Amino acid sequence: MGIVAAFRELDATVDAIEDLKRQKISDVTVYTPTPRHEIEEAVSPPTSPVRRFTLIGGFCGACFGYWIAVWTSDYWPLVVGGKAIATWIPFTIIGFELMVLIGALATVAGMFINSRIPKITMTVGFDPRFTHGHYGIWVQEAPERARIVEETLRRHGAEDVRHED
Amino acid sequence: MATVARPRGATDLSPRPNVASANQQLPGVADYEQVDRDIGGSLTPTAGWFGALAVAIALFLWGAGTWTYQIYWGLGNAGYNPPVMWGVYIISFVFWVGIGHAGTLISAILYLFRAGFRTTIYRCAEAMTVFAVMTAGLFPIIHIGRPWKFFWLIPYPNWRLIWPNFKSPLVWDVFAISTYLTVSATFLYVGLVPDIAVLRDRATNPVRKRILAVMSLGWRNSEKEWRHFARMYLFLAAFSTPLVLSVHSVVSFDFAMAINPGWHTTIFPPYFVAGAIFSGIGMVFTIIIPIRKFFRLQHYVTINHLDAAAKLCLFTSLVVGCAYLVEFWVAWYSANQFEQKYFWNRVFGEWWWAAWIMLTCNMVFPLSLFSQRLRRNPGWLFILSIFINLGMWFERFVIIVPTLSHEFEPWQWAHYAPSWVDISILIGSFGWFFMWFLLFIKQLPVIAIAEVKEIVPPRLRSPHPHEDAIDVTGRHQAYEPDTPGEFD
Amino acid sequence: MTEPSGSAGVKRRDFLKVLGAAGAVTTSVGCFQEDVEKLIPYLVSPDDTVPGVSTYFATTCRECAAGCGLIAETRDGRAIKLEGNPAHPVNHGALCARGQASLQGLYNPDRYRHPMARRNGKLERITWDEGIRTLRERIAGLGAGAANAVFVNQHESGSFPAFLDQWLAGYGMPAHLSYDGEAPHAVMQANRQTYGAAWPALDFTAAKLIVAVGADFLEMWGASVPQQLSFADARAKLADAPRFVYIGPRRSLTGLNADEWLACKPGSELAIVNALAGKGDVAAAATAGGVDQAALQRLAGELAATKPSLVLSGVTTANALDVALAVNALNVAAGNVGVTIKPAEALTGFDRVGSPNDLRDAVQRMASGAVPIAMFRGVNPVYVLPKSLRVAEALAKVPFKVSFSPFPDETSELCDLILPDDHFLESWGDAESVRGTISLQQPAMDRVFDTRATADVLIGVTKGDPATANRIPVADYRSWLIGRFPGGAQAFGAALARGTAPGSPAQNATASRTVAAAPAPAPAPLEGQQGDFYFVAYPSPVLGDGRATNKPWLQELPDPVTKIAWQSWIEIHPTTAARLGIENGDHITVTTAAGSVNAPAYIFMGVRQDVVAMATGRGHTGYGRYAQNVGVNPLDALPVAHDASGGLALATVKARLTKTADHSPIISTEGSARQHARGIGRAVTVAELNGPEEEEVEHFAGDNKHDFLPGLRSPVANDAQGVLGNPKSKDKGMYDPEHWSGMAKRRWAMAIDLARCTGCSACVTACYAENNIPTVGAPWQGRSLRPFHSGDGNGWDTRPGANILKGREMQWIRIERYYEGGEDGSSDFDTRFVPMMCQHCGNAPCEPVCPVYATYHSPDGLNVQVYNRCVGTRYCSNGCPYKVRYFNWHGYGEPARRQYAFPEPLNWQLNPDVTVRGKGVMEKCSFCVQRIREAEHRAKLEGRELVADEFTTSCAQACPSRAITFGDAADEKWSVARLAEDRRAYHVFEELNTFTAVVYLKKVNHPAGGER
Repeated sequence: MGIVAAFRELDATVDAIEDLKRQKISDVTVYTPTPRHEIEEAVSPPTSPVRRFTLIGGFCGACFGYWIAVWTSDYWPLVVGGKAIATWIPFTIIGFELMVLIGALATVAGMFINSRIPKITMTVGFDPRFTHGHYGIWVQEAPERARIVEETLRRHGAEDVRHED
Repeated sequence: MATVARPRGATDLSPRPNVASANQQLPGVADYEQVDRDIGGSLTPTAGWFGALAVAIALFLWGAGTWTYQIYWGLGNAGYNPPVMWGVYIISFVFWVGIGHAGTLISAILYLFRAGFRTTIYRCAEAMTVFAVMTAGLFPIIHIGRPWKFFWLIPYPNWRLIWPNFKSPLVWDVFAISTYLTVSATFLYVGLVPDIAVLRDRATNPVRKRILAVMSLGWRNSEKEWRHFARMYLFLAAFSTPLVLSVHSVVSFDFAMAINPGWHTTIFPPYFVAGAIFSGIGMVFTIIIPIRKFFRLQHYVTINHLDAAAKLCLFTSLVVGCAYLVEFWVAWYSANQFEQKYFWNRVFGEWWWAAWIMLTCNMVFPLSLFSQRLRRNPGWLFILSIFINLGMWFERFVIIVPTLSHEFEPWQWAHYAPSWVDISILIGSFGWFFMWFLLFIKQLPVIAIAEVKEIVPPRLRSPHPHEDAIDVTGRHQAYEPDTPGEFD
Repeated sequence: MTEPSGSAGVKRRDFLKVLGAAGAVTTSVGCFQEDVEKLIPYLVSPDDTVPGVSTYFATTCRECAAGCGLIAETRDGRAIKLEGNPAHPVNHGALCARGQASLQGLYNPDRYRHPMARRNGKLERITWDEGIRTLRERIAGLGAGAANAVFVNQHESGSFPAFLDQWLAGYGMPAHLSYDGEAPHAVMQANRQTYGAAWPALDFTAAKLIVAVGADFLEMWGASVPQQLSFADARAKLADAPRFVYIGPRRSLTGLNADEWLACKPGSELAIVNALAGKGDVAAAATAGGVDQAALQRLAGELAATKPSLVLSGVTTANALDVALAVNALNVAAGNVGVTIKPAEALTGFDRVGSPNDLRDAVQRMASGAVPIAMFRGVNPVYVLPKSLRVAEALAKVPFKVSFSPFPDETSELCDLILPDDHFLESWGDAESVRGTISLQQPAMDRVFDTRATADVLIGVTKGDPATANRIPVADYRSWLIGRFPGGAQAFGAALARGTAPGSPAQNATASRTVAAAPAPAPAPLEGQQGDFYFVAYPSPVLGDGRATNKPWLQELPDPVTKIAWQSWIEIHPTTAARLGIENGDHITVTTAAGSVNAPAYIFMGVRQDVVAMATGRGHTGYGRYAQNVGVNPLDALPVAHDASGGLALATVKARLTKTADHSPIISTEGSARQHARGIGRAVTVAELNGPEEEEVEHFAGDNKHDFLPGLRSPVANDAQGVLGNPKSKDKGMYDPEHWSGMAKRRWAMAIDLARCTGCSACVTACYAENNIPTVGAPWQGRSLRPFHSGDGNGWDTRPGANILKGREMQWIRIERYYEGGEDGSSDFDTRFVPMMCQHCGNAPCEPVCPVYATYHSPDGLNVQVYNRCVGTRYCSNGCPYKVRYFNWHGYGEPARRQYAFPEPLNWQLNPDVTVRGKGVMEKCSFCVQRIREAEHRAKLEGRELVADEFTTSCAQACPSRAITFGDAADEKWSVARLAEDRRAYHVFEELNTFTAVVYLKKVNHPAGGER
């Protein structure tokens, strides 16, 4: 079962998170109206994998950019202005722009995939206050330990605690 | 407002805290809820807004009608006077692309530089960027002789496998502009997602709530989302930074790659980029100053922020001015008679008036920003920004028209004057731009709610290092009461 | 040929065009008319017509009296192009602009389309039977009055005048008056007296010195084409070429081709000629003429020393005859007769031309009411005679007036019966251009309208009445011609193929005028008159006496001297203009004793400070949509003054100048008249030519020509052919000489000899004719000046030449006219004529900038323009340093647009081998690629290689001075390859490394005494 707690203060939230970690309670989701370093330090998560999407996307984009320009030029070889048919230097612009375009889109896709959005339905364990002024903690835990969790959260000054199934 | 609150001359000359030194950026904002209230509250439409929107739409329709007319009768009804084959449309294209540069500069480059003053103005600038590029994108199509064939510039698969010429700067333009539009629109949208989530949760009207729910993609402010979001934002910024510089460089290639005197020069890319950023900042002032006034957001977009932006404006102005002077020097030093005759004709010949509008508006007037008092005077900044927009439009005029009218072949020297068609379509483009912008500012927050919350001190239960104000640069600063009246 | 289907629906393609571009708002526009056209004007084609294949007819040009031989190219039964007949003794294949443009007379949309008669004040359509009957009855009703009938015929050589006189005599009518407003009567009468021939052949090549006293032999003075051919050949002798001195108050096109100009006062020529002949005092002559005495002295000495020389007279003052006689005497004394002046090989085109004096006399008889019937054919007295003669009023006194004119000109509009003549390309005839040679005129195509040859009408008149039925015992004029043709029908048929045959056409035993006209009133002596300025009218080099003005090609063709089109102007000297505070385009009124004329001023170094000059030809009040209300007519300010030979004196009045408030910009294709030391039109003096080859003054720092002149290959072609750089280059394909097409073996190129070019601009019109170039200067073709207005013309710029004012003329080839020297307004300046067309650069700056490959470099060296692919970014034009690319600003090819350039039936002339470019695409000179491919295909079909110089471009073909040579510069068998090696050869803007395919050969100047 899940327990949602709403905190008014930042430091209270941080203390609660650290306490829950001490109690080896793993499945904790923290909500914050705005990213705070304190919370990030408290949760100490692994580095986001989004950067890999960026790298791969950018690389594919650059390759495609060069390829399309060179291939189309060679496919229909027309001399213009006494220049070579396949000219690398100007094609760098195409390569660059496509690297940026596809790289950027891949990055956004990476963010969506990793943070599991778009979510069409509001899932359980969320409260509108979390986008307003309140910090939130959602713990999913076996029923027998639910009391300990709730007690911990209240001890650290949760404004209110809600059970969700 | 500062000027209103404080009678002239009575200003205390003690050095004012600026964004970097202010220990609290937004003293007027108490807590997160207030941010939601203030900014969310600014979204309710007003009569004045409806009026402005009506005017914008009217202008846009006039321009669209004129374009239809031009397509029917041919480009001959525009003011072209061969060999001046490029005119108001290309001028306006470069002008609008330039405007579109401030947004990404502010949201991406200043983000990487951790420039604090960007937080409250970047949303506005980003929206401006997207709509400006949308406007710019129309002009090449308006300009070409057979607009119904514009898609031939795009490498789309066709059954005869005929492709565009990738050596042509115009094709580079197609790629640069479309990439820039896509990336900056994406940037704007993903930045909006958390704010849309805020509006969603504050909304009372169920329909509006539903729409916002879809637009917010079910964003929940969870720490995991924030983590990936921050990464993505960083990389987008890292991509956008070279993109900004590349786009106007590519636009400048349209001229630098041709062999015409006055165009065929290597300083064009940096020169154009500086000009673009300069004009963009100008447009930002033109937009943000009325908004902070009419939306009552002076305690968000503070005088400190305007001050900092004004310094950036001054800097780019100096770069642009330097570029102008270097151009003349290059022409003289080239010992190339075509080049020299052309520049003489530009400044002292038939085009002197345009050249001097450019020089005064872009080089001379902005020097006033060396005065801190003027930097902190929104009224003056607004007036100056109008001059900057004018000057930058004429910069493009001076680059394009005098070159084409005074080239290698004396037998084909000519004059140029726009016709009512050119002017109408130019005006229509402003209508188109402001139509989109006005629609935007009443539907979505013009100030980034989530990011503002970052620089608002959080609620704390007990005295603790955390009680110190933490500005967006992450530096901890001991709490002191701020100078009274620093914001308003 | 066109019936609008009346469907006002939206045409799908245009709809999508507009919709696709501008969104739904645009569906409101786009109401079009569908045109249904017959591709081939007949169902069963004659044997000699294969659809899509040209048929050629040899015939004779009747635009002026010279009678040049033509080859009319017809396609599917329609004449589409005129070229000179290479076998013809007069023009040897060349053809002037007016000759080219006669096609637009044939297809002129304003031609009379059927006979008409005036019924209660209005001209109404009638049938030919009615028309002929009316004429017969009128003539029958004349009775004794027939003796006073007047028939005015355009002057033409050949059988028709005799036939006409015979016909007139049959009805007791006096012989006809022939009229030619351009014929130099004084010269001809003097020639008859001195040489016994009206127009002896002039051999400029034999001369060592040419002195022209107002004789514009490259323009309207005599037969311009043969004179130009000979003059160009003389100039092409370079070092040995004759020096050319021009004497006259105005520096005409001929004068601009001279090495020296003595600007003398009008009326002082006689004194000067006498001084040159050593008969008069040089000092006195110099004072009288207002010329530099030293120069005159030097010239007199030169003339005495140089033999043989050629002295020509063409003055139009009242004492023209005396000058002409003096000049002839000079030639006789110098022994030029038989050497440079050859009476034996006389041109007979001008024989038996009636004089303006006769016409004046006739008009005065009309005014007195003595003339019962007046008939006009191809002559427009109301326009070509000075207004002060009041011709229209005189005509009103004539009870019955008949016009055979094919066009609604000022005279025929006043006539009672219109029996429109066929165009010469539709009818039979003959001419005698050279003594002893019949030049045949045959129809090249079926009639365009319901017209009929006048000769056949006259026969019809006799046939209708039993009494006169067998007066002309043949069915039609053609059989009449065959009847008197030496050798009869068989020889006639054989001769048609060549166009010429030995023999002499029928002639009247007597000269055309038996009764001499009353002598003209003696004009007031010039010096005695009031006024500070001499007023000099001259026949326009392009429009002549105004009979060519209704042809858009000629209205659009810039005057070779002033480069003004669609406008009349008054030439005034810079110093004078400065003194009177007159700017270019300020309207000035010239007032003489006879009248006044108002036109914009054009500041021109080529007139004396005390002279204002004006060209005839414009200022029609009728004569169709292209001529009407364009410009003004200088004859309005001229008195009726004749020289002793009866010729109209054009320089006989002094005038007063008044500046008026109006200003209309000069409609000129000229940007800057100075080349700012950019080396576009270069020249060498004889001294430099003979001296050692050194880097000439005007040459820039830059690539020297040896890198690319051989074969003129561009580095690309070389690279593709492995000649230089990378032999393993992959960039080959069809650029590889081993490619099956073999195209890369060739490099089409052009050589233009500025020593030959006279700036006559015939090439420009030839290009219009060959390449379907639209004319854009007509008053209804202008742009919109006011927002959304109704299409009825208000709100549009309806000034003639409005588009040219905006620089939108479409001249694929243009003649640039640059001045060197004379900045101080002195008469000592040099003129460079530079024909400028696409240079087909090896490294073309226009190509790489095109986003859609609409222009690229073909393996055989052409800079190709693909109209269908062009989207109209106009970037190519920005890139082009020569500015030879032209843009379709309006729908010149769309009948539904007011700017449509080919109103029915002008569109019949369009060359089926060339696209009519659509709105919004770029176009330019293609080196007549359609001719190149046609020749290549012909060679392929005949299983052979192209023969050197076997074909050429349209401009080169027409050029009357043979200045343009086209061919394959990669193959030394072609003459262009040889010319490219000439030491005079240079490329324009070499320093840009564009590797152009056009080679210019420097002009050669012959300064006085070889100095400078």
